[in-house]
Amino acid sequence: MTPSSLPLFILAGPLVIALAILLLPARVMSLRACEAAHVVSMVLVFALALAMTGQVLGGARLEALASWLYVDSLGAIFLMIIAVVGLMTGLYSLGYIRHDIEVGHLDMRRAKIYYGFFNLFVFTMLLSATANNIVMMWVAVEATTLGSAFLVGIYGEKTSLEAAWKYVVICTVGVAFGLYGTVLVFSNGSEVLADPHQAVLWTSLAQNAASLDPSLMKIAFVFVVIGFGTKAGLFPMHAWLPDAHSEAPSPVSALLSGVLLKCALFVIIRYLALMVRAIGPEFPQTLLLTLGVLSVVVAAMLFFVQKDLKRKLAYSSVEHVGLIAIGLGLGGPLGVAAALLHSINHSLAKALLFCGSGNVLMKYGTRDLDKVKGMLRLAPASGLLLMIGALALSGFPPFNVFVSEFLVFAAGLKAGHPWLMLVCLLFFTVTIAGFIQIISGSVLGKTSEGAKPGDVSAATLVPLGILAALVLVMGFAVPAPIAKLVADASAIVLDGGDPVTVASPWQFGGTTLFADDNGLLATPAAAAEPAAEKETK
Amino acid sequence: MITLPTTLPAILALAATLVPFLGAALIAALPRDAGKWVCQIFAAAAVLIALCLAWIFEAGGFESAHTSLIGLGSTEILGLTIDRVSVLVASAVIVIGYLVALYSIGYLNQGNREHPDIGRRRFYAFLLIFIGAMAGLVFTSTVIGQLVFFEITGACSWALIGYYESPKALRSAAKALIVTHIASLGLYVAAALIFIDTGTFALTAIAGLPASQKATILLAILIAAWGKSAQLPFHMWLPDAMEAPTPVSAYLHAASMVKVGVYIFARGLLSSGGAPEIVGWVGAVMATLTLVYGFAMYLPQIDMKRLLAYSTITQLSTIFLGLSFSVFGSDLAFKGAIAHIFNHAFAKTLFFLVAGALSYTAGTRLLPQLRGIMAKKPLLGVGFAVAAMAIAGVPPFSGFFSKFAIFAGGFQVGREHWPLMVIAVIALAESVGTFAWFLKWLGTCIPGTPSEAIEQSGPTPRSIQIVLVVLIIMSVASSGIAAWWLG
Repeated sequence: MTPSSLPLFILAGPLVIALAILLLPARVMSLRACEAAHVVSMVLVFALALAMTGQVLGGARLEALASWLYVDSLGAIFLMIIAVVGLMTGLYSLGYIRHDIEVGHLDMRRAKIYYGFFNLFVFTMLLSATANNIVMMWVAVEATTLGSAFLVGIYGEKTSLEAAWKYVVICTVGVAFGLYGTVLVFSNGSEVLADPHQAVLWTSLAQNAASLDPSLMKIAFVFVVIGFGTKAGLFPMHAWLPDAHSEAPSPVSALLSGVLLKCALFVIIRYLALMVRAIGPEFPQTLLLTLGVLSVVVAAMLFFVQKDLKRKLAYSSVEHVGLIAIGLGLGGPLGVAAALLHSINHSLAKALLFCGSGNVLMKYGTRDLDKVKGMLRLAPASGLLLMIGALALSGFPPFNVFVSEFLVFAAGLKAGHPWLMLVCLLFFTVTIAGFIQIISGSVLGKTSEGAKPGDVSAATLVPLGILAALVLVMGFAVPAPIAKLVADASAIVLDGGDPVTVASPWQFGGTTLFADDNGLLATPAAAAEPAAEKETK
Repeated sequence: MITLPTTLPAILALAATLVPFLGAALIAALPRDAGKWVCQIFAAAAVLIALCLAWIFEAGGFESAHTSLIGLGSTEILGLTIDRVSVLVASAVIVIGYLVALYSIGYLNQGNREHPDIGRRRFYAFLLIFIGAMAGLVFTSTVIGQLVFFEITGACSWALIGYYESPKALRSAAKALIVTHIASLGLYVAAALIFIDTGTFALTAIAGLPASQKATILLAILIAAWGKSAQLPFHMWLPDAMEAPTPVSAYLHAASMVKVGVYIFARGLLSSGGAPEIVGWVGAVMATLTLVYGFAMYLPQIDMKRLLAYSTITQLSTIFLGLSFSVFGSDLAFKGAIAHIFNHAFAKTLFFLVAGALSYTAGTRLLPQLRGIMAKKPLLGVGFAVAAMAIAGVPPFSGFFSKFAIFAGGFQVGREHWPLMVIAVIALAESVGTFAWFLKWLGTCIPGTPSEAIEQSGPTPRSIQIVLVVLIIMSVASSGIAAWWLG
């Protein structure tokens, strides 16, 4: 492990700026100053995350604060998700909040609170993605609830306050289960580890996982999945999610859906990696597979019947989190890599669509799909972006979600679950129908009466354009560094050993990890080959 | 590893796929008035490329070639197959795409009596993407490539069928998309199975598998093929897709959407190096069922486009039948099926475009209201007659020769398998029935004194006339071209 101060800096940046925005009086921190500080913070986070990812790609694993903070390939993936989506939604916020102030939804004081808590929220998510101390991991996830609850309720209306309360209550109760799991793992670890103080660190637990008590670990993992699964929006603990996602300001919805859910999943993945080492993959994978399939099935149906654009998108998030859980549950290098890739892809596409729904709100003042009509004629650029997002999220090539969905499907067939996979894909077809309804009902068609033509400001279009470009690029060709990160990370999850010294079959040469025109990761292919050979013998 | 193609045919094949996509991007970026001209230019460029490719390929002595574009080690992810079948079908797809684009200039304007329109960018952009995706599908050498282009054509068809944005059109569009997507699960299965069993996506890898796996993969492909080609049980999207603007219907039904199905099945059989007989049985039985169903549905139709839709379904069943016969060892039936893909493409486009010209000028496409077309509009009358004859398979029009080859192949394999003989006889009877039915409408619509709608019809735009003339010629000549090409 390489000691590094970068993890400290990336945490300190948004924290300091959040405190500055929140604590300094309004005459020092005008709206303009808040915006400037906010942009600086997001750019800083992005730059530092990029730097750390570069080092991780070079083979280093960064640690700081006596190993309390730890960044490996797995962490780097989630750091990059936070950084990229944070930057894009952060930039998008500028135009969106100004518009809200103009039309009187927010006043200056609340705008300041918004930027402050936005940064605090990003800080807590960064903390959960860099944590090596399992108790701190739990604290960080708990803290994300507090950070984001104020953002959910920022409009101060009855519905948004209700959503914020529901969010706080369900998530704190849920995440409390996560604490039981954490404590169980810690107490067992402190018994068996030579140095009990090390039992709080994920890395040392992972190294000594074989000596952990199997039945305790099973119980612990159930608690962890219930606890952090609540936060990740897995069925049946998803009840808070549609309310919170639909009532929050659109950039925050994008952040909640694109990033926060992934942070909770990240914690589950960390524990999954522990369990794979401690009790083998079978038990944790069955659990995740079951919850994943249930999430997909239920969310697809609920998705279809919603009339509110943002609620629809929220249920789609439940569905995609379910798919990620399925990928993890199928296991094998292919399944885990597909799940990780799907986390990235879903974050980008969902951020695009939630911000696009922000443009709908700005233009029409409502999220009711019965009232939103003719977006393409009224605001062509927003309409087009919304259309791209919807097609991407429903899994059409050449967009990115198709690639990871196909990989999950292939992993399922490889793991011997063809019927399960067909059922899942059929439910994803229901989702396609839902997205098609959005496009044909709201993007196309005659414009609603009384709406003025003209697009929203460029400030709210440019971040969306960048996200759309990323969605297309990731669908067309997964960039080589991302492919390598995903491959390394799935090796970490599956106990593929030390990626530097062990020449795993999926990383030979270190340079053969690249992507193709269809965006399929080449990695699982190479990994699948020896496995297939074994099977035929 | 991405390898750029080095041989000229491969470069041309890649260009034929990419050029239309570029055009679509350009249309999105330019103002509306430029859209239709950009579409013409890029579609024409694709035609030039395709014809060059055909010419070079012919001059090179029909040398089949395979170029890997993207792959890792032995895992081929995307590649190009250039052989007699792919070049022939790609040429038809691209040429008809261009003819449809040309026709659309005359059709999508305020002079249209059925659907006055201004010709939005959306239409031309998606038409170009459609052409590019079809070319890509035809040339691709991997299942995953087929899946990608399969889905892109699905999305394009959705955008084009729903173009008029009426609730019914949008519903029909969604139906087409959902039904074909459900069918595409077959390709998902096929792609994943090939990948898991062989570690590559190349279609040719099917040949090396044991018979049971071969059968699973080919049947999975067959299910996807049924979806796109509107065979039972996935037929329901096609008659509804008539809500599309007529040039789009023509393209969907003649050259693109429905041909995706038969083409991927043909490509699968071609690559499998001898398919298990079960595939032939399933294919032949379902094709016969669809054939009988489609013919029964002719009878109540009075909307010309709906009649044509059911005619498309039965024609495709005939092609499936030919392909299924080829599983039992009849090379003739395979060639007949490929030739029928080619011939049917031109004849059916002609038929739809005549229907479109009638609704443009007369404002209706209800057959009982169309009488005496010949007297008032000789070009449309001739087009109607030629198309009907070609579809019904009357010599010397194109449909006859390819159908003949399919039936001859059927009787050939029927000697060893009596059920196939029965099937071939049913198909022959259907063909005769189709002929009788088309003759009936031919007799009602073409001769005689013009009905009110025809009498008051407006002039036919120039671009529509040009396209119809080209297609009439091709409806006679295409069979000869296909026969010479396939050897």
